[in-house]
Amino acid sequence: MKASFNFDAIFASGRDNTGRKLEELASRFDNVWVLTADTGGFLGQYKKDYGDRFVDVGIAEQNVMGTAAGLALAGNVCFVTGMIPFMTMRACEQVRTAICYQNLPVRLIGTGGGLTSGGGSTHNAMEDVALMRSLVNMTVISVADPNMIPDLLEESMTYPGPMYIRLAQGKKDRVIYEPGTAKYQIGKGLIVREGADVTIFAHGEMVGEAMDAALELEKEGIQALVADLYSIKPLDEELIMSCTRKTGKVIVLEDHLMYGGLASAVADVYADRQEMPVKFRRMGIPQVYAGFGSGAELQHKYGYDAEAVAAAVREMVNS
Amino acid sequence: MEKTQEIYRLKELAYEMRIKLLKFCGSYDGAVHIGGDLSMTEILIGLWHHAMQCDPENLSWPERDRFIMSKGHGALAMYMAMSLRGFFDYEEIISTYGQLDSKYGMHPCRVQLPALECSSGSLGQGLAMANGIALNAKRKGEKYRVYCLMGDGETGEGSVWEAAMMSSSYKLGNVVGIVDRNCQTMTFYTEDKYMSMAPYKDKWKAFGWNVLEINGNDMAAVVEALDSLPAPTGDVPTMLVCNTVKGKGVSFMEHALGWHSGCLGTEDMERALLDVQKAWDKEKEEMGR
Repeated sequence: MKASFNFDAIFASGRDNTGRKLEELASRFDNVWVLTADTGGFLGQYKKDYGDRFVDVGIAEQNVMGTAAGLALAGNVCFVTGMIPFMTMRACEQVRTAICYQNLPVRLIGTGGGLTSGGGSTHNAMEDVALMRSLVNMTVISVADPNMIPDLLEESMTYPGPMYIRLAQGKKDRVIYEPGTAKYQIGKGLIVREGADVTIFAHGEMVGEAMDAALELEKEGIQALVADLYSIKPLDEELIMSCTRKTGKVIVLEDHLMYGGLASAVADVYADRQEMPVKFRRMGIPQVYAGFGSGAELQHKYGYDAEAVAAAVREMVNS
Repeated sequence: MEKTQEIYRLKELAYEMRIKLLKFCGSYDGAVHIGGDLSMTEILIGLWHHAMQCDPENLSWPERDRFIMSKGHGALAMYMAMSLRGFFDYEEIISTYGQLDSKYGMHPCRVQLPALECSSGSLGQGLAMANGIALNAKRKGEKYRVYCLMGDGETGEGSVWEAAMMSSSYKLGNVVGIVDRNCQTMTFYTEDKYMSMAPYKDKWKAFGWNVLEINGNDMAAVVEALDSLPAPTGDVPTMLVCNTVKGKGVSFMEHALGWHSGCLGTEDMERALLDVQKAWDKEKEEMGR
């Protein structure tokens, strides 16, 4: 696996990759169902080919989760697509009680991770990782590279219990890795770039921002290790500790509230092991309802884009 | 004659179930949802002992009818009805109920008790699950029904109506909803000053359901309604609105607030048992037994 040198210029649609993979899975497995609450625009072909295993309940997230639970109780593997805030908050209790409590193979695929939705604070998704990782039995994945989706969905056919898969905007997502070179596995992380001076742990579209920062820092002679912790639960604790021991200094970068998400999960690993990094900093959304603007603009405004990460690394390395 | 015989058999089971519920309520030191347990006794006996295709010896029988106890706080009544049918051991229920590592708790848990179709207890979630099971059955051409028992208070949850809309839109004629319409919630009378449910039957009709309204404490009426259900291969879900009395059969509990959940002292238990016993004696006399 290697990071693409021109990843900046390559994009793919996480949603289209999802739609195509679901079609393929449905062709191979008779127990695949796809459900949505009025958001399945990218599922057109799936609907045509597998209409008898497609459910659109309209704008009713609680209902889509309950229905998926019922289908899963009857022996099916259900993929539910939708906008993150409504899947994880409006229907949070159905996700917890109908799906997680019964430990059912339902996969929630949410679009609009972090501040990428463009819809303002109603549609931003900044609490989802905190909420979903707190649920017993739930696996939590945040996709950095849209080409990771097929592997993940393939593994999800046999992976036990429920799963939450967070996509960024899902329309035009950065390709991070040279196509075909990265192997994803639930419970593992990936070192995107080696480095000895500082580690940047990131998930989702922030892996690209971390790489931008690392490339900028390289020009100044600072070597940043970038690790893609796409598997937020279960977490690759061995990878976290080996990177931490290597660089001492750690930044956790995410398009999520700074507290409750990956940064908190990583801090928990340190606390539980009683083994601390030399320096530790969280970068993400502060305690605000962020308002309007593009994801890039908001990440800049709230101080966790590539530029801010590079500045934080300089401060950390030079102080 | 055969039908009279069947009604008598079911009434006797309902009597036995009420006695068992009250005896347990009087001996258990925790809270029991006795009011609702008594209001849905005929419904549960009608389902588990007359209408539903089920086999206690073969829990995973593919053709079995599915039962979703959406009003999960009625778990004890369900355990009792099912134990009378041979699913569970009555002694095990009463000796372990609510205790550490028991299979039988206040709200049904499928993880601990795999004989159940689902876990429940959080109100308003059962009908959507029933729809999911029914969708799968319909796609595969399986002919069983999915029964979903709710409380009328429970249908204050918006999620019930999301699911209700779906049952009819997706033409789930294999879904049978049953509402234990006892017109009481934990703290108020539904048709009193707070949240009125009326016109109740019309609400379900407006959501595209075939609706029957019956006296849910009249065993013969329950049986007749269950016997007259349209074929599960049809396109329209059926709702049985069962008008019932919370605390049915116990004079001091009937229609009284305060018996949603609670304990029964020995003296009250004796009074309650006497009420049920007397009513049953009268019933037998009327039926010429």
